[in-house]
Amino acid sequence: MSVNLTINKKQYSLELKGNETLLEVLRDKLSMTGTKTACQETECGTCTVMINGKAVLSCITLAANVQGDEITTIEGLAQGDVLHPVQQAYVDCGSVQCGFCIPGMIMSSVALLEKKPEPTQEEIEYALDGNICRCAGYPKIFQAVREAGKKMKNSVIASEAKQSL
Amino acid sequence: MLLNPLTLHLPKSSLEAAKLYKELEDSKVLAGGTFLLNSMKLLKTKGTKTARNILSLGHLEDLKGVSFQNDTLTIKTMTRINELFESPLLNGHLRILHTVCRNISTNPIRNMATVGGNLTCRYTWTEMGAVMIALDANMHFLGPDGKEDIVTAENFFKNGARCEKLFTHVTIKVNSHARCSYRRVRKTLHVDIPMLAVCVKTDLIGKQWYNSRVGINNGVAFAQRDHLLEEFLNKSFSSADLGKEALEHLTTAIYDTRSSDYKQHIFRVSLKSAIEEICQ
Repeated sequence: MSVNLTINKKQYSLELKGNETLLEVLRDKLSMTGTKTACQETECGTCTVMINGKAVLSCITLAANVQGDEITTIEGLAQGDVLHPVQQAYVDCGSVQCGFCIPGMIMSSVALLEKKPEPTQEEIEYALDGNICRCAGYPKIFQAVREAGKKMKNSVIASEAKQSL
Repeated sequence: MLLNPLTLHLPKSSLEAAKLYKELEDSKVLAGGTFLLNSMKLLKTKGTKTARNILSLGHLEDLKGVSFQNDTLTIKTMTRINELFESPLLNGHLRILHTVCRNISTNPIRNMATVGGNLTCRYTWTEMGAVMIALDANMHFLGPDGKEDIVTAENFFKNGARCEKLFTHVTIKVNSHARCSYRRVRKTLHVDIPMLAVCVKTDLIGKQWYNSRVGINNGVAFAQRDHLLEEFLNKSFSSADLGKEALEHLTTAIYDTRSSDYKQHIFRVSLKSAIEEICQ
């Protein structure tokens, strides 16, 4: 079937089978390998992407079923060479160990911070409870989310101040 | 491919979906997909056949949303668990639904899974059933002729949670006397499968308990009521000892099904604590 997908604000016209998951399409058809594949049974969160601003699992999303939705993957966050504030915070806080879970962690973090730039610890844990870090680097991941939230809030305030001048 | 070949059907309206649901053979309804697609993947790895037709309700706007009118809360079938969790309409004893949603699985799953999927997926350990029974919810189904059937949640689960028609929404009547409490225990710290869920609801007038309903999910059978316990509670007044006394009036068969001593103990601790919370 012909399917039009909007991924990272770009349109893709694809010929897909009904049983192809978004994860398979991203990695195998569009070479967007930033979205990782691991358990493939909803346990680990490495395949997390954002659909309409919400963190979801691409391994149980049928690609043909998300036509018309805004899909954002880890590749869609950076602006050229400038990392997204969440990506930058993960680097600055040393939150990355083996790194395999990080794209999923970042997508869940972005979805949270776009809705709530100053989350409480409980809210961070609630938002990231579907992402498992095998290296158990959670404290620095949580720290990065808090730092990124502050930066995102400050940049919003700065741009609003600039506009009002 | 993670899934066997299938044909994806994308109806444009709930009536079209109801017609397709009746017409299509070897079909399954796709709501959030967190149960269905996961189990289809698992069955494929075991070499088992899976449904050839998948009927997606994903883009049917008339099946989404939560509303409140005439003392009745309506939750449409395609409402995501996190949407219900965030709903400002969960006031009074309906606040219990907030607690239920909060405890379901993980955040990406709560963003995808739907209330309809949770109630109709026919897994015995899903947690919404016990709560809907305790809240005396009505489940609404749409036939291919456009006619609506209404079934109580209690009867739905008593009859094996089978959907002959398209499940469209659930309604819950609200009254100002109602009090509700919910407990859920997961299998292990790391495996988020509910081992049990209990929900106690009563109309509290003064200290007297009326119209008590106890919804139980023992993880083995579909959610059910404990009539014996309800009968006891309806003759009772709130007191410090009510939780303890109530444990002498359980329908033991519900709690003893394939249960370990530990599970039976946890059931009793949960019920006692739920009843005590209402008494406070």
